[in-house]
Amino acid sequence: MSRIWVIATNTFREAVRDRILNSILFFAVLLLGISLGLREVSIGDTDKVVRGVALGGVSFLATLVALFLGVSLVYKEIERRTIYTLAAKPLARWQLLLGKYVGVWITLAVEVLLLFGLYVLIVSPQQGLPGMPLFVAALMLMVELSLLAAWAMLFSTFASPVTATAYSVSIYLIGHFADDLHLFGERADPGAFRTLVLSLYRVVPNLETFNLRAEAVHGVAVPWSEVAWSTAYGAGYTTAVLCTAMLVFSKRDFK
Amino acid sequence: MSPPPAIRTERLGKTYLSGFLRRPFVGLSDLTLEVPEGITFGFVGPNGAGKTTTIKTLMGLQAPTEGQAWLFGTPIADPQSRASLGFMPERPYFYEHLTAWEFMEFYARLSGVPSGEREARISSLLERVELSRFRNVALRKFSKGMLQRAGIAQALVGNPRLVVLDEPMSGLDPLGRVLVRDIILAERRAGRTVFFSSHILSDVEQLSDRVAIVVGGKLREEGKMADLVGNAALSVDITFTGAADLPGAELLREEGNRRTVRVPPAEVDDACRSILSGGGSVLSVHRNVPSLESVLLDEVERARTVNEKQLGVLA
Repeated sequence: MSRIWVIATNTFREAVRDRILNSILFFAVLLLGISLGLREVSIGDTDKVVRGVALGGVSFLATLVALFLGVSLVYKEIERRTIYTLAAKPLARWQLLLGKYVGVWITLAVEVLLLFGLYVLIVSPQQGLPGMPLFVAALMLMVELSLLAAWAMLFSTFASPVTATAYSVSIYLIGHFADDLHLFGERADPGAFRTLVLSLYRVVPNLETFNLRAEAVHGVAVPWSEVAWSTAYGAGYTTAVLCTAMLVFSKRDFK
Repeated sequence: MSPPPAIRTERLGKTYLSGFLRRPFVGLSDLTLEVPEGITFGFVGPNGAGKTTTIKTLMGLQAPTEGQAWLFGTPIADPQSRASLGFMPERPYFYEHLTAWEFMEFYARLSGVPSGEREARISSLLERVELSRFRNVALRKFSKGMLQRAGIAQALVGNPRLVVLDEPMSGLDPLGRVLVRDIILAERRAGRTVFFSSHILSDVEQLSDRVAIVVGGKLREEGKMADLVGNAALSVDITFTGAADLPGAELLREEGNRRTVRVPPAEVDDACRSILSGGGSVLSVHRNVPSLESVLLDEVERARTVNEKQLGVLA
């Protein structure tokens, strides 16, 4: 366990010292600042427009970081051959990958805290302190990022960064259109195509489950039972993806 | 019962499947080897001979496709086989975001060095590889030679019983090579097993108790250095002055009345007598003994001949 933690803390340090995180925070400040200005140029419930754009932007930036870290950190370990000295330690491969994942997860948690902290700092003076729905939305975003990072890490155990990124983005997009995919399958004529679409629906994660941004924007409370169910679904799915990644990683030869 | 050897392999082999058609390529075949504890073992061979494949397989970086291997009696598939192992890969790269100190601390923690001993161990190792004054410098600013020395320090930080170094001399300047050579000698004196591969045969000759030669993915020779290269002189070079006529001697150099000739070992006494009786002086006598290089070249040549014969049979 302690060796997994050593790898996790090193991964966190590596991610934090990467300039990309600073750039993301810079863009977050920029985006939140711009979203405040939208009140002057939009019509209707202008406060909700501001909250919607700001939350959407923060979620988008956080997703970018999750995909970037998930894809790059394991790949870099292999490409730069730092894996050689790690794998020669008395560690099982699954411990190594779990350490990397825990490091990525800590980085994402810190990043979500920072991004939502910035949101509160920048948006609150104009709109007052946000209520519980915002914090629930942040928690659900974290569950989604954990799952996306696990997928990205799985792809990076066998594919190049470009391919792994393409696969991960596909999962992100399909995952957010999972309900439409289901509807599409249900309405298709019985046959191979219908089976294929419905099978795909069952395999890909339904990422809309974790999307509580609309509720946060409108200040609508979500029942805790729903939050608990979504969290359990995300955690279970993440564990399954991570176990697959560990299996692939443990079979891999480092040439 | 005698303790298990530091390294043991039995018919170890690795075949890679490459390309779209998954064509097999034999990286290593039928390697049976035993490295007793406490010796320095040199592993030599030309490029692509299978040295790095062997080392990567032993280090658990790739699974063998044939045979088995053990470190201190534990199968290499078990991570615990690497519990007392220090490893430096060829052309090492390390975490660029870490300083030398953080880097050593990371490996010390991974190797299970108790926190109370960590600082003293890291300080002394950085001192040994002459990187103390760069302890707070990020590795991205290190030269290739400095990275190589940092790599050796991380291999030793866990105080391992077995140290495996893949091409530890490559990329080092002469001073760096001497430093690494001294470290290997010190490790041997401390009773550790050092297994290293190298292209620099003079280093292998100087440092190794035993040597294995691999060519074309197969083990060709293995044994004590003295047994492999032998002690008997192949020829003797005599440098002398005077006008002595030495029939059967091969003239190597002539500068004024100073000549160097090569004679068979059995004729040295007669040659010297002739020089002296002719009024000349013997300036030097040098025995030419076989080197590891000549043994390696013979093995490469033998492997090539066997290959050609096999191709001839197939044709």
